[in-house]
Amino acid sequence: MELTIYGTNALTYPHLHIWDWKIASYLFLGGLTGGALVMSAIANLRKKKTEPHDKACCVKVPLIAPFILLLGMFFIFLDVERKLNSFWFYLTFQPLSPMSWGAWGVGAVIPISFLYGLSTVPDELKHWLVFDFLKKWSKKLNPYMRRLAVINFIMGIFVGIYTGVLLSSFVARPLWNSALLPILFLNSALSTGAALVIIMARKNEVKLFFTKVDIWLILSEITLIALFFYGHYTSSASHRESIMPFFTLSNEFFPYWISILLLSIIFPLVIVLEFLEVKGEHSERLTGFEKFRMNLSALLVLVGGFIIRMALIYAGQLIKMTDKIATKF
Amino acid sequence: MPKYAMVIDQRRCIGCLACIVACKRENHVPEEHYRTRVVEEIDGKAPKLRMELRSELCNHCDNPPCVYNCPTGASYKDKDGTVQINRKKCVGCKACIAACPYDARYINPEHGYADKCTFCQHRLKAGKEPACVATCIGKSRVFGDLDDPSSKVSKLLREYSSWVRLPEAGTHPRVFYIRKQSRPE
Amino acid sequence: MGISRREFIKYAALGLAGSAALTTEVFKPLSAMGLDDDRAIVKHIPTVCEMCFWMCGAVGRVVNGRLVKLEGNPLHPKSRGRLCARGNAGMGLLYDPDRLKAPLIRTGARGENRYKKASWDEALNYVADRITKIKEKYGPEAIALFAHGSPGSYFFDLVLAMGSPNISFPSFSQCLGARNVGYELTFGEDPGSGPERVDMENSRVIAMFATHLGENMHNSQVQDFTEAVGRGAKLIVVDPRFSTAAGKADYWLQIKPGTDLALMLAWLHVLIYEKWYDEDYIKKYTEGFEELKKGVKEYTPEWAEKETEIPARLIAETARELGRYRPNVVVHPGRHYAWYGNDTQRARANALLNAVLGTWGAKGGIYLKPQVKLPSLKGKPFPETEKESVAIPDKYPFAGGEGLTNEVRRATITGDPYPIKAWLVVGTNLVKTLPNQKETLQAIKNLDLLVSIDVMPMDTTMLADVILPETTYLERHDELKKVYAKSLGIALRQPVVKPLFEVKPAWWIAKELAKRLGLEDYFPYKHLEDKLRKQAKLWNIDYDKLQRKGYHVIPNSAKPYFGPDNPPKFKTESGKINLYSKELEAYGFDPIPKYTKVEQPPQGYMRLLYGRVPMHTFTRSINNKWLWELEKENHVWINTEVARRLNIKDGEYVVLENQDGIRSNKVLAKVTERIRKDCVFLPHGFGLMSKRLSRAYLKGADDQGLITRYRIDPITGVTGMRVNFVKIVKEA
Ligand SMILES: Nc1nc2c(c(=O)[nH]1)N[C@H]1C(S)=C(S)[C@@H](COP(=O)(O)OP(=O)(O)OC[C@H]3O[C@@H](n4cnc5c(=O)[nH]c(N)nc54)[C@H](O)[C@@H]3O)O[C@H]1N2
Ligand SMILES: Nc1nc2c(c(=O)[nH]1)N[C@H]1C(S)=C(S)[C@@H](COP(=O)(O)OP(=O)(O)OC[C@H]3O[C@@H](n4cnc5c(=O)[nH]c(N)nc54)[C@H](O)[C@@H]3O)O[C@H]1N2
Ligand code: SF4
Ligand code: SF4
Ligand code: SF4
Ligand code: SF4
Ligand code: SF4
Ligand SMILES: [Mo]
Repeated sequence: MELTIYGTNALTYPHLHIWDWKIASYLFLGGLTGGALVMSAIANLRKKKTEPHDKACCVKVPLIAPFILLLGMFFIFLDVERKLNSFWFYLTFQPLSPMSWGAWGVGAVIPISFLYGLSTVPDELKHWLVFDFLKKWSKKLNPYMRRLAVINFIMGIFVGIYTGVLLSSFVARPLWNSALLPILFLNSALSTGAALVIIMARKNEVKLFFTKVDIWLILSEITLIALFFYGHYTSSASHRESIMPFFTLSNEFFPYWISILLLSIIFPLVIVLEFLEVKGEHSERLTGFEKFRMNLSALLVLVGGFIIRMALIYAGQLIKMTDKIATKF
Repeated sequence: MPKYAMVIDQRRCIGCLACIVACKRENHVPEEHYRTRVVEEIDGKAPKLRMELRSELCNHCDNPPCVYNCPTGASYKDKDGTVQINRKKCVGCKACIAACPYDARYINPEHGYADKCTFCQHRLKAGKEPACVATCIGKSRVFGDLDDPSSKVSKLLREYSSWVRLPEAGTHPRVFYIRKQSRPE
Repeated sequence: MGISRREFIKYAALGLAGSAALTTEVFKPLSAMGLDDDRAIVKHIPTVCEMCFWMCGAVGRVVNGRLVKLEGNPLHPKSRGRLCARGNAGMGLLYDPDRLKAPLIRTGARGENRYKKASWDEALNYVADRITKIKEKYGPEAIALFAHGSPGSYFFDLVLAMGSPNISFPSFSQCLGARNVGYELTFGEDPGSGPERVDMENSRVIAMFATHLGENMHNSQVQDFTEAVGRGAKLIVVDPRFSTAAGKADYWLQIKPGTDLALMLAWLHVLIYEKWYDEDYIKKYTEGFEELKKGVKEYTPEWAEKETEIPARLIAETARELGRYRPNVVVHPGRHYAWYGNDTQRARANALLNAVLGTWGAKGGIYLKPQVKLPSLKGKPFPETEKESVAIPDKYPFAGGEGLTNEVRRATITGDPYPIKAWLVVGTNLVKTLPNQKETLQAIKNLDLLVSIDVMPMDTTMLADVILPETTYLERHDELKKVYAKSLGIALRQPVVKPLFEVKPAWWIAKELAKRLGLEDYFPYKHLEDKLRKQAKLWNIDYDKLQRKGYHVIPNSAKPYFGPDNPPKFKTESGKINLYSKELEAYGFDPIPKYTKVEQPPQGYMRLLYGRVPMHTFTRSINNKWLWELEKENHVWINTEVARRLNIKDGEYVVLENQDGIRSNKVLAKVTERIRKDCVFLPHGFGLMSKRLSRAYLKGADDQGLITRYRIDPITGVTGMRVNFVKIVKEA
């Protein structure tokens, strides 16, 4: 077929480039926040905290979570073309728009997770809170920590899943248009959240626990990714075409197939590393090497999570639902 | 309230591009940006070649994903059935652009709001046809009210089999195409 | 928001009988149009488009003195309320920042692009002074005019008043000269040129040789064509290229370039030998049928297949389609004929097909010109010229019309029969318009004076000694235009905005020059509008109404078809259709067209074909912002298989080299099934060399640059330009 188009918008032809690394970063940071909130809630809810040290096991994570999300919001702000108009997000609620849900949701998550963060700070660490009023608040919130943890757990799930819902709702973009995508994003959010906890936690026992959790998350993530591609492959022509960049060895699609290649190295490697971790004998104090190995595997999980977001954001805009499927592949 | 629609009789399109320029001048569409385009597809091997000319624009979908995905309500379905954008409310988040299966939208490079074909609503209000229809050299673009059985669009849709772009997207376009050659003689 | 109801009513008035003043001021909010002002003065002013020579009726919407939109005038039969892409983009010319803004006098060498700004007085005195000197030294005929389009007419008068007969327009020898002569020899009349009187909207079968309607974007003609397509008329398109029109056709005959005459003769053969004609009609209205019959005897479809590479079966079948539905069919006369140097005979064959099919004056055929005669204003008679015109030389017995540009150019180079020392160039880009640029440049070298009256700093403009900037068609009055559609009509061009910069309309420039040359009497008006009013009065037209409506139809002027009340008569000497041309015979030419072969490309070369793209007019629109963005540079069409062999990819830059080793600017390859293997197609108008054209400069390749050879048609002296061969050089 010979195709000539007169009157094309550079933005949308030959393929749209409306969202870029800024949105991918936001998706990643949003997911990370969601996962972190869920994981820290689990840490806090797992068993009754009596010992101050136990209590302190998950302080830093909830405390920085809202700031990670704020950073993510900043990227969105960078991306939005009419920054001065951003207030319109909060003058309306559009029930059918995942982005509207997101705007309100994130708007709520930031303060609530911040309160949660405050509530987790034990007395002996209150000096972290530089301002007196924060210390006062923290004190007042301490008793509500578990209740706040439950709320944060739910909100974490929301933040982790809604970005996937947002993308999956675009019937126009076949790569994103999959019911598996929200689950995949949530799973990735949880695994990156767990990874963050692993890196931040100081207690051996906590690190180990989340390493175990992470193994399961990574295993399910691999399964989901496989199913995601399988689902597309067996779906409509445009769905099938939309995953092809990941499996076409050409210069044009270098970023995509290399991302698949990286993921297929990173995730197994992480599993191996984590497995070694769980199997190993541990003293109360971690050796430098052990610490390095744990943090490395967690870091790899973060990298993997970022790659997934980047690859999906860009690839999703490469192939669209079209009147005729181009015979590119 | 009318239920506006466009019928594009592809048989009559001659690829002159008058519609594109008229649209741009009428609506002050910025340089290198377009609300409508003309697609020319050639199939086959010489001497058996087929040509399809298809002018494209916003479909003013009855089930518009751009509207559903707009977080601020800036994109909305108007009472006359057209899909419009309230520039004041638009934050330029581009969700609507991602949501539109037809690449009908763009961001105004100067002001940052999303923009697209309005079916020339300002002209409709003044009793005129859309600019692209008014100038269409082939009379390929036909505009009218689906609720009025005597309108040209209603008649054409009754007389000919028509199709819409990407019906599988479930958007229920209000721009219909007639592709089949008919030979009344 | 939105435009007030009132504005619409004003607008609609155009199409209605009422005479609401179109130019009254209306106050209305403009926020809807993205204009800042809350209240603005909106006017709708009808005028005539000249983005090309079709000259449609347009209406300008002017807001606070600025033109914001052009639309078609519904009253004008060439636009019928619609404008093509170029017409819609008129303000791109009006507001082009590259426009000529003030008179310029050359300070550097020719072509060096060094000029100084001058006042009108200074520039006009300078020109008048030089002209006077040349006149004194060489005689008035040393001054020649090249013109095209409306501004030409005032300079036509000026040059005639000076006493020079040397006037030529490219519209004859580079365009439709051969066609008109071929038809005049046959029917005693040409088929019209604005519009061609082809009744396509009613045709049952339409055959087109080349005539790439849709790409050839002559507004109402394309409207008629799509009407026919929409009705389901049968279409036969003969073109080596799968044109847009071919895309609509029932039969696309992918002819070998240069062999059209073979196909036409074979069609005549089939029509005559299979008796697809009306015997009675032939007897009554034609002369020389038996000779014609004999003349086409040998041209069987089988014979033609070998020449044209079109299957004989298809040749016969398409001829029969025409025969079956005659006389409500038409073999489109076409327009641009300057192809192979044998073009008059091709035009004759085309006319003969229409003659045998009886389409002249038939519904769906070629309709008749309105017969009304409008009196002309009497002016001072022009002086007798002392010498023969070089533009219409005796050696080409059927040269005429608007004269031979190529002959004036030749005479300028050789000084034979007498020297030509000054060129006035008005509205034509000679360097790009005439074949063999070297000759044009050489001729220009011989000149003592080259004056360009133009709107843009085009290639030819920037070779001139003096540049006189004209207003665009949107800023001026021009002569009333007679439109020979089915009815005769009169169109008015009037300014929609005040002239920008220091530009002046052509009539003013010509008049001011006349004043300085003591020829004022030939321009007996203060303002052209005085003349227009007088003329309107003479024709019984209410000028004020014409100003509001833009178009006036002469009542009862339509008699498009022959019929009982309008029996066939032809304007030939015999009153009959000349199937056999005694006139041609008298000058030793074939009275019945005979097939002649055209030279074929040598090994490794392909024939260079050219044509139009719908969004541009020749060179003149390439720099127009709103058209340029649709096609910034041209593409050379290369057959898929050829491209594969040469390893050329679609969208990659290549360079063309012609048989004389001349190379083109780099040009994008369009690799396509749509063109034959033995030719390439390069849209005309691109590859402009003037640096002052900020958009168009060196965008794409110039077909004319590669047309270093041309063939002269011996009957009319027009140039055949499809006789050049190119090979493709991959860009290093
Ligand atoms: N958009 C636009 N429209 C225009 C103009 C413009 O500048 N721009 N100019 C106007 C003017 S003044 C003119 S004269 C007309 C010219 O327009 P036409 O009269 O239609 O021009 P042609 O040269 O007859 O047609 C060009 C076509 O001839 C085909 N061709 C080339 N060689 C041969 C051959 O040997 N045999 C056959 N059968 N076909 C061949 C080419 O493939 C191409 O499709 O266009 C008018 N319309
Ligand atoms: N190689 C090749 N040569 C061709 C053709 C081809 O297809 N290929 N086509 C041939 C045909 S059919 C034709 S009709 C001729 C056309 O040949 P031209 O009439 O020379 O066509 P353009 O190239 O458009 O040049 C028009 C010039 O007029 C100027 N102009 C535009 N508007 C105005 C105005 O209002 N006032 C004044 N004073 N000047 C104005 C423009 O700036 C430009 O310099 O070319 C012929 N030559
Ligand atoms: S075509 Fe696109 S922009 Fe227009 S209504 Fe449909 S989804 Fe929205
Ligand atoms: S870009 Fe504007 S119109 Fe589009 S979704 Fe965002 S706010 Fe709505
Ligand atoms: S209806 Fe109006 S806005 Fe839409 S494409 Fe046509 S001219 Fe442009
Ligand atoms: S104006 Fe009409 S005929 Fe011309 S390209 Fe547009 S839709 Fe086709
Ligand atoms: S055909 Fe187009 S460019 Fe030519 S006069 Fe008409 S509207 Fe203007
Ligand atoms: Mo022409």
